[in-house]
Amino acid sequence: MSNYIVLVKQVPDVSQITDNAFDLETGTLIRTRLKSVINELDTQALAMADQMKHQNGDEHSKIICLTMGPPMAQEVLKYALGRRVDDAVLLTDKTLGGADTVATANPLAFAVKKIVREFFNNNDDYYVICGMQSVDGDTAQVPPQIAEELNLPCIAYVTDVAYKDNRFEFTGIIAGGSQTVAVKKPPAVITVAEHKYPLFATFADARKAEKMDITQWNSPDINAELIGVNGSKTSVIRVFPPGKSIRKKQKLENTQSLAKIIQQKSKSRTPESARKNNAQKLYRLPKNRVAKFNRSFEATKKENEDFKILSDTLKKLNITDINRINRSTKEQILDVAGKHFHKKALDDMLNGLELTNSTFKGDVWVVAEHDGREIHPATFELIGKAAALANSLGVNTGVCLAGANLKKMTEKIIHAGPDKIYLIEHQLLEQFDPAAYRKAVADCIGSHLPQIVLFAATPRGRMLAPMVSYRLGCGLTADCTSLDITDRSRTRNIGILLQTRPALGGNVMASICTKNSKIQMATARPGVFKMPDKPLNGKGKIIKHKIKLEHSDRSIDIIKTSVAPGEVNLNTEIIVSGGKGMQNRDNYEKLVGSLCEAIKQNLDVTIEKGASRAAVEHGLADRVRQVGQTGTAVKPKIYIALGISGAIQHMIGIANAETIIAVNSDPNAPIFKQSDYYIVGTVEQKIPELVKYLNLQNQNE
Amino acid sequence: MNEKNKYNKADVLIVGAGPAGLACAIHLKKKNPRLDICLIEKAADLGNHNLSGAVLEPEPLHTLLDEACPQWKNTDQAKEILAQKVQKDNIMFCLGKKISFNISFVIKLAKILHLGFGQMLHKDDYIVSVSELTKWLGSIARNLDIELLTGFAAEDVFLDNQNGSVVSVKLVDQGLDKKGEKQPNYIPGEKIHADFIVLAEGCDGLVTESFIEKAKLQRKSPQLYSVGVKELIKVSQSQYEKFTSSRVVHAMGYPLWRPLIGPAMFGGGIIYPARKNHIAVGIIVGADWIYKDFNPQDALTLFKNHSFVGKFIRNGSVVEAGAKMIPEAGLYAVPNDPKTGTIGKANCIITGDSAGFVNMLKIKGLHNAIYSGIYAADAIAENINSPQFTALRYTELIKKSKLYEEMLSAANFRQTVAKFGPLIGLPLSAIADLLPRFKVEQDTKSMTAAEYKLKPNQQFDKDTFAAMADTQHREEQPSHLKILDTEICKQKCTPIYDSPCITFCPAEVYEIIRNEVKPANPSNCLHCKTCQIKCPLDNIRWTAPEGAGGPRYKRM
Repeated sequence: MSNYIVLVKQVPDVSQITDNAFDLETGTLIRTRLKSVINELDTQALAMADQMKHQNGDEHSKIICLTMGPPMAQEVLKYALGRRVDDAVLLTDKTLGGADTVATANPLAFAVKKIVREFFNNNDDYYVICGMQSVDGDTAQVPPQIAEELNLPCIAYVTDVAYKDNRFEFTGIIAGGSQTVAVKKPPAVITVAEHKYPLFATFADARKAEKMDITQWNSPDINAELIGVNGSKTSVIRVFPPGKSIRKKQKLENTQSLAKIIQQKSKSRTPESARKNNAQKLYRLPKNRVAKFNRSFEATKKENEDFKILSDTLKKLNITDINRINRSTKEQILDVAGKHFHKKALDDMLNGLELTNSTFKGDVWVVAEHDGREIHPATFELIGKAAALANSLGVNTGVCLAGANLKKMTEKIIHAGPDKIYLIEHQLLEQFDPAAYRKAVADCIGSHLPQIVLFAATPRGRMLAPMVSYRLGCGLTADCTSLDITDRSRTRNIGILLQTRPALGGNVMASICTKNSKIQMATARPGVFKMPDKPLNGKGKIIKHKIKLEHSDRSIDIIKTSVAPGEVNLNTEIIVSGGKGMQNRDNYEKLVGSLCEAIKQNLDVTIEKGASRAAVEHGLADRVRQVGQTGTAVKPKIYIALGISGAIQHMIGIANAETIIAVNSDPNAPIFKQSDYYIVGTVEQKIPELVKYLNLQNQNE
Repeated sequence: MNEKNKYNKADVLIVGAGPAGLACAIHLKKKNPRLDICLIEKAADLGNHNLSGAVLEPEPLHTLLDEACPQWKNTDQAKEILAQKVQKDNIMFCLGKKISFNISFVIKLAKILHLGFGQMLHKDDYIVSVSELTKWLGSIARNLDIELLTGFAAEDVFLDNQNGSVVSVKLVDQGLDKKGEKQPNYIPGEKIHADFIVLAEGCDGLVTESFIEKAKLQRKSPQLYSVGVKELIKVSQSQYEKFTSSRVVHAMGYPLWRPLIGPAMFGGGIIYPARKNHIAVGIIVGADWIYKDFNPQDALTLFKNHSFVGKFIRNGSVVEAGAKMIPEAGLYAVPNDPKTGTIGKANCIITGDSAGFVNMLKIKGLHNAIYSGIYAADAIAENINSPQFTALRYTELIKKSKLYEEMLSAANFRQTVAKFGPLIGLPLSAIADLLPRFKVEQDTKSMTAAEYKLKPNQQFDKDTFAAMADTQHREEQPSHLKILDTEICKQKCTPIYDSPCITFCPAEVYEIIRNEVKPANPSNCLHCKTCQIKCPLDNIRWTAPEGAGGPRYKRM
């Protein structure tokens, strides 16, 4: 008999974000301005659990819902209890607050253990089912970290489940296709990317939920190891509003003006670099700086200012040696700069000035990603970034490549020019099994101790990285869009990695540093870093890392892998994507196809057809065409979204497009708020018109 | 009783968590704390489907809350919601696009002379948002342990054939696809049983109308409606200060009514300030307009561009928009049992806008909705052991009340206007209470092939309007708007009236697709039900979509 634990999270309703929901100074969200709701993907996880329970056909199996949060988070448990969940547990305690993903996963894993003991009588035939990620953090780290803590297999991005031969077969998304797998043996952690039929509340269950006393556990009840701020491995340094990513949101009344805009924008020749703020000065470690007390690489503006004042004061007082500062010189400094900082701060800053070497030691690594044949392009982008970071720190660039039959791929990596290549070659790594891979990669990282490790934020990287980092006891920041070296001299941190990422569906940016860790780890979205123009000049020294893997290290059986045929290059100047609004495959081919054709005929650009996840799931387009976080991240000049609602995962994947154009019949489609130009109307009507005008326009010139 | 049945039964079931339903629940819980009171609401959240001007007479709020929640006046919410007391009360007459004059003195004179429309003065009332008011009353109800379940839409009632009591209320099926096929997550609508049923659905309630039919209740006069469209506009500080936060403006004349030379429609414009530099602008039009190409939103555009209105809102940005109907026919249209006169029957009573307790002389119904909820609660509390007498007692209480008195004074007003048109009807209405009751026709029969002469050049942007109403429905469900017979559209409507539903629907739900009128975008629907009332051939039915769909008003 299988039982199910569904993890749910209460999140601010980011779909309802209004301009006044943020404190513009600090970029922090004013929580009271936004409604709290259940995380959308968690509702799909509930539906998946319900489906599994029915497929399994066991009346006595239970679905228990678990959440961690403040007392008001029991609202989401009531939501679940109104939808056929048998029981619910709220994990709530002040000491659990302020947690990062590690300090969230750890207590949740301990709560899972307690549920298994107390609700399931220690029966370990159970599944932990979670939404792939939450809309507020969207890190997708907690489920794999729970799997790591509980030492369970993890199957990510599941879109369907079937019950065959007495076991569940899960179908999930992989790069460019889908894969059906089964776990060797439950328990297992499952993350859900989509379930088409979310459950409806029944009146009777909803009333029952209202009247129920929900089980509450506090921190001492579960006895977790890593909780709250102290158990966290990362800390947020600052939060700020996203810069220029603000879209025009201009509504167009007719397709004629849209045709004009497509023509204009297709001619824009803005070099990519112009869109990014590249004016940043290059980081050097304090020991390599010309001015002795130069501390102008601090993580916050305030700290940079304070250090500037301090160094000016020291200069004024003719102090050149930190070690000669005594009580009376401190008084002098405070006399001059006292209105800027107090004694305690001065002590911290002076202590900081003593440090001139980097806090972390070791190289900067990239964990290469591949599909067994080809290295993922994001790996090369990251190697370029790693080299820049390594250069700042005066260390080497390393690449870790794990798999079987690596010869060809190794050559490609050598060509990219890192200093060192760590090869883990083993036949059991022929196919991607998260359990075996995480063991191999963590072992290699653990024995060479680089100071920074970067992963690509692809479906696979977003599962592997949290497992590896958790296993090594290190912090991890997901989906970074910018990585810089910084100092936090006042807290005695020099030359550390400042990891900046969007949060709350791209509505804020957060800069994060790693703490309580030996290694700083981050994943970065494909496409955000520039592919290096030329190979690095590293020697490409190969270091083979031996690993002992047993068959028991494999956690899953791969039943079927289907990668859609044909190569699709989404690295074009224009992408025309179709969503569920296309209704059927014929429409998709006809409408997307005709628009692509008209643009190709009339404008001198490269173009490709794309699709949303929903369109792929409904069979309108092949998986290789999927654009978005779980598909391909793209950065065309013009992205044209037809009948795409604008789910957050899709928008993340097109965030780097120069111009976004949307056509949708729903005037409320979220995509309009994130596009530059939009037209309200059905694609069946608007596309043929647009094609007509594109053709006319060309004739008239 | 097994567990499931236990939760499908409540002592009191209130359909609709608006001001009337919530007032009933709060008052009743205070009278009898042991009662199991359950409110269901089709909106996703409290207040989401509530739209009004609104000017509130505060007395009923005192009656309700002084007892249920003695400290209410000191709460932050009360202070915020009742922050704006009316101090200035303007009635403007607009003549053309530019000219307007203040005719408040006429009303003041009427008041002195004790004429009906002297009631139209609003001084010392409060300017409120009914969405906010509802949300606040809801939070009070929840604190009192009243069960308040949002996202559940009801569609029908079932009566006991023997004694005419209502046995159960049926909820909407969930999980059907567009063609009505069951999806894997299909759940049939549950039947909820209760000893007492209170219908508080608001204007033209789906369950209420079904109940009226099944219980054979009657209206002396058909219900007459108005359609209101409203926008909440963020304006500049100086515009707001110029308007002031304590002034209400009611406008007559242009663009609805231009005696002799232009259109003749009953209604007018409103300008109400809202907190924090927001001003609400709206148009209310009697649904008996005759123009096939008229759309209240066109009138709103013209009104907004009138020089008097424009100066307060020009360059402002619309932050919310919505549409709703108002039941205006007054006392003669309150449904009751032809034998006993009860407003409802046996254990089932009708309150608020569902009953039609709007006083057209005051252009207000909110206070009466709250009062009717209070009387409903009293009637239930007195009949705990004899539910079948509830409607009788409720009607007695209503008839002894101020509510009835003022409804009676306004009883003939709207009918007089409907009968004689605004030009003659309005002056005549001053003595309406002396005139006999007129026979009037349903709004659905008013449409003609006439055209509205002031139609603006530019088409109203309904997409943005619907987006500003933040309306949303699950796409994959059967259309909740039904065209009964498409042949009627083709044969009788399109040739004469040009398919007016395409024009008058404020959210562009109706479209012509392959020469056939279809409710093509049901997910845009604002639940205003104008289509059901205004279709010239009575060929459209509004049914309830899955719960939690519809607009999401926050400050309307």
